[in-house]
Amino acid sequence: MVEIGQDDSIRVQIRPDPFSAFEALECWAGAAAASAVFLGRVRPQTLDGEPLQALELQHYPGLCERQLLQLAREQLQHHGAIRALVVHRVGTLLPGELIVLVAVEADRRGCAQRCCSDLLEALKHQAPFWKREWFSGQGTWLSGNTPL
Amino acid sequence: MIWTLEPHQSVLASVLRVLLFASLRDRAGWEERSIPVSEAGLTAAQVWDQLELGPLESVCVAVNQELVRSDQPLRAGDELAFLPPFTGG
Repeated sequence: MVEIGQDDSIRVQIRPDPFSAFEALECWAGAAAASAVFLGRVRPQTLDGEPLQALELQHYPGLCERQLLQLAREQLQHHGAIRALVVHRVGTLLPGELIVLVAVEADRRGCAQRCCSDLLEALKHQAPFWKREWFSGQGTWLSGNTPL
Repeated sequence: MIWTLEPHQSVLASVLRVLLFASLRDRAGWEERSIPVSEAGLTAAQVWDQLELGPLESVCVAVNQELVRSDQPLRAGDELAFLPPFTGG
């Protein structure tokens, strides 16, 4: 697992192994009044509706972690939120496994929820991760993100 | 024509390290190559054209692990990466 963060306000983890959202949150949670959390899991079907064997996640080590830190920093500042946690899987994932966890703490629920949502969207479009769906022994790289 | 070096021939002072990811790796059939820098002012877009991997329009460029424009001049020793559209999260 690679974990980086410049200070206590942002924590980024890239993990090659399955993780527990509850354990990750318990280790990270502070005393802010509001927390918002998003959990993303592997679907059981491919985009074409076929049964998914596995989802492969590739990333660009180094740039990926720095980009996540930068995106989290920008979104915290933009929304006036306090802290952010991003945990993202890489490697081979099975249906139902967690792909991503994004959590944000703030003083108010509105900015916590908006910041969490915007950070997730920023991550999906601006962080160098790539998904490949495996079905019947054939791998297909996805060419874009699923709709919001 | 791209000249490539074997690993034992790599000379950091005179080559670029070119990386491909995801679908671009499959399309090219390789992940990483060292490419001699033969001209001053060489850009990522010019290197891409030499690779003959299709249009650059949907591909992001990173130099030394920073996202940059494709017309950024390159220097010997740079790590140049071509990145297909991101699909994480």
